[in-house]
Amino acid sequence: MIKLENLHVHYQTDQGRVHAVRGINLEVQPGQFYTLLGPSGCGKTTTLRSVAGLETPDEGEIYVGDDLVFSSSRKIVVPPYRRDIGMVFQSYAIWPHLNVFENVAFPLREMKRRFSQQELRNRVAQALTLVQLDGLMDRPAPFLSGGQQQRLALARALVKEPSVLLLDEPLSNLDAKLREETRFELRELVKRLGITTLYVTHDQLEALTMSDRVTVMDQGCIVQSGTPMEIYQAPQERFVANFIGLTNFVEGRVHRTAGGQNQIGEVETASGRLRCVLPDDIASGDSVVLLIRPEDITVAFDLSFHRENVLHGQVDALIFMGDALECQLLVGGQRLRTKLHPSSGIQRGQTVALHLPAGRCRVLRSS
Amino acid sequence: MWVASRPLVWHSGIFLLVLVLVLVPLIFLVLGSFSTARLPGDFSLDTMGWINYVKVYTDPGTYELFTNTLVYVGGSSLFGISLAVTLAWLVERTNLPVKLWIYAGVPMTLAAPGMLQAMAWVLLLSPRIGLINKWLQDLFGLEHPPINVYSLGGMIFLEGLRLVPTAFLMLVPLMRSMDPALEEAAAVSGARPLSIIRKISLRLLAPGLVAVMIYQLMTALEVFEIPGVLGLPAGIYVFSTKIYAIVRSATFMPVYGQANALAMVYLLMAVVTTYFYARMISRSEKYTIITGKGYRPRQLNLGKWRYPAVILVFLYLFLAILLPFAVFVYASFLSYVQTPSLEAFKGMTLKNYRLLAEYGEVGAALKNTILMVAVTATATVFLSFLVSLVVVRSKFWGRKLLDQLAFVPHAIPGIVMGIAFFWVFLKIDFLPIYGTVWAMAIGFTVSFLSYGTRSMNASLLQIHKELEEAAYVSGAPPWRTLWRVFLPLMLPTFVGVWIWVVLHAVRIAGMPLMLYEGPQNQVLSILIWNMWDEGYVPAVAAIGTLLMLTLLLLTLVVRYVGFRQQFMQAPNV
Repeated sequence: MIKLENLHVHYQTDQGRVHAVRGINLEVQPGQFYTLLGPSGCGKTTTLRSVAGLETPDEGEIYVGDDLVFSSSRKIVVPPYRRDIGMVFQSYAIWPHLNVFENVAFPLREMKRRFSQQELRNRVAQALTLVQLDGLMDRPAPFLSGGQQQRLALARALVKEPSVLLLDEPLSNLDAKLREETRFELRELVKRLGITTLYVTHDQLEALTMSDRVTVMDQGCIVQSGTPMEIYQAPQERFVANFIGLTNFVEGRVHRTAGGQNQIGEVETASGRLRCVLPDDIASGDSVVLLIRPEDITVAFDLSFHRENVLHGQVDALIFMGDALECQLLVGGQRLRTKLHPSSGIQRGQTVALHLPAGRCRVLRSS
Repeated sequence: MWVASRPLVWHSGIFLLVLVLVLVPLIFLVLGSFSTARLPGDFSLDTMGWINYVKVYTDPGTYELFTNTLVYVGGSSLFGISLAVTLAWLVERTNLPVKLWIYAGVPMTLAAPGMLQAMAWVLLLSPRIGLINKWLQDLFGLEHPPINVYSLGGMIFLEGLRLVPTAFLMLVPLMRSMDPALEEAAAVSGARPLSIIRKISLRLLAPGLVAVMIYQLMTALEVFEIPGVLGLPAGIYVFSTKIYAIVRSATFMPVYGQANALAMVYLLMAVVTTYFYARMISRSEKYTIITGKGYRPRQLNLGKWRYPAVILVFLYLFLAILLPFAVFVYASFLSYVQTPSLEAFKGMTLKNYRLLAEYGEVGAALKNTILMVAVTATATVFLSFLVSLVVVRSKFWGRKLLDQLAFVPHAIPGIVMGIAFFWVFLKIDFLPIYGTVWAMAIGFTVSFLSYGTRSMNASLLQIHKELEEAAYVSGAPPWRTLWRVFLPLMLPTFVGVWIWVVLHAVRIAGMPLMLYEGPQNQVLSILIWNMWDEGYVPAVAAIGTLLMLTLLLLTLVVRYVGFRQQFMQAPNV
């Protein structure tokens, strides 16, 4: 539904020319909720704006629906107003001189097709009902709360039933509680409408909870692309592991490979030999870093507990977080973080056994 | 805060002082308009009547006055605003290549006093000696000079040019603060570029644009120097020059009461525009809405229109500063005004500058001017600061009223302020102020009080109380906090207001002309006015050249201070 091929975008700032997007390829399937995730300045918003036509790329091709809307080689630049899109801006961009009704009616009035007064009212009412703003039609736009503005912006983007919905950090201006509710509602809504959605955010939680597919970007390039679960559980770059969630990193050297893809091999670390999932292109003796998520580590008080991948560590710090107890352990000079139930009764200074399940230990080549 | 929040004696003192300074002249203005006495000094409550109003408003000349004022104010505002909108739009929203020239050059045009600019244009376009007229006559073999600057058209053209910098400086932030996402949202909603400009950009700019427009109407209405230089010689009067002409008439016995009766209507017009201005400002604030962070405004590609745009920009800068300044410098080296030729350049002389040094009146006027502007600027800064302190930081019962009182002079045209104080100083003859530079200093201080308090209010509001509280909890006693936190943060505003007042007090001729008496009390603006009147054109050119250079330097200092001020702004809490 959306396809980008070898997209390069430069733009001019006061500091000079910035190569914001460096050769991106991606494809969004019809009906998919596709998220671009990355820190600020990674090029995700520039990519989205290029799809909207608000930014003109220097190289590459962009398809929206079945239309080729941009092609550097064929010199095609379709202006934004001819693209079949709806967009929600980070600032919502609600026109303050128009009321709620006129804001939503705007895209309809700009369409080639002329709507009758009745039709116009129906379409706008329908869109406002979708976002639960019915009854506020005549309210001047500046008298809306942040959450209402956000929903109004969504109604305006959806009212002409575009084939693609573009969302630029639409939740970042809402307060925490509202953001949480809206995450769920927004996904429900676009799924119910079956509209193809390209979503840009720097919030990992939004990306993981809402998306069908997440693409992580850094410095203008795609780092990794996959389902939220793949991205979280099997990061292929240290950047991704670091950016999304908490990860323990353990330096080591490959002791034995097993051959084949995602095979269990052995890695020698400062605290002992551990069995882990190895990538297929790795050889014995390579320097690697082992990743394990805090919640994948099991803590046992019984020190005689002995299976493979068990280490002994001393509790160095305990941080009460309400729903969990974050436990920092010293294991052979290395600090590992794990999460326990708050009622676990663990004490500071206590020595415990840690089980790192081999299937959860991922290995990346050190860079 | 070190100003105790209990209402203190000095709060009431400031309140009373401002009340007296603002209301007393106005009361005298009103009473004077009913006075049937020949001279203001003879005024008493027994000799009152409507005769002045009857005389003034049955005179057919008064209706011509209305028409002239309307045409001149409307025409110059329209011309000035269109030019300013174009320039502001070019620098903010397009890829015009010479932006830095506009940002730097347009505010510089504020440095030239209107009186001198008008005189420069007389040198260029007067039917008798105008260089451009002569040149056009030679070029096309015309019998009569084609352009007459002593006309409503000439006044509109020049005042229009003069309105551009202020309008530009007001419009740039307006265009900059408009979130481009509002226009982009229209683009992705399917609106074409022209439709975006019409339905979104212009509609969003409208309240601000109307406010700028009204502000410019006020400026054009109040100005005396342009119609004074270009209209008076041809007998084309607007309100400000008519009142001046009645009071300072050389041939007739002045009818002071009639001048007041005219001034009342003039004042009413100014008050009404000020009222609308204040209303527009509060309305445009309603348009604020959540804006995104760190957006990059999109710039329109001018394409082949780049070069016409650049030419327009340079033409404006050429007409607004370069040409008037060049003609002044040129004339200041001549014995008499003549068109540029080899002969003229050969005959150039420093005589005019030497004359300035030898001519006693110049030295006296310079001393008077320095005294007058220094006193005015210092008094304005001091009084405005105290007023703002009460308004912003105290719980004094009358602080809202005090704020409004301090804003009132904004609506009073300089000439009206002049005639009002003229009555005050003539009546309170136990104080020997009338006709001296002290009279001008008091008049100017009251006039600039509105500007001073607006700046101080804004600055004081920005110094969040937590900045001082942080100093207290860091162990600084109140006087150390005042010295190390409060004053350093206020200093740029003090300096900024001080220089702004100097820049304005030195160039305005209207009010000093109403209040001075005798050659020993002349300031520079009066001296220039009188010398011009008597035909010493090259000498005026010499003083004007020096004055413009000085003001240009001061303007540069203001820009620098202004920059520092932005730099030192405390983050919003």
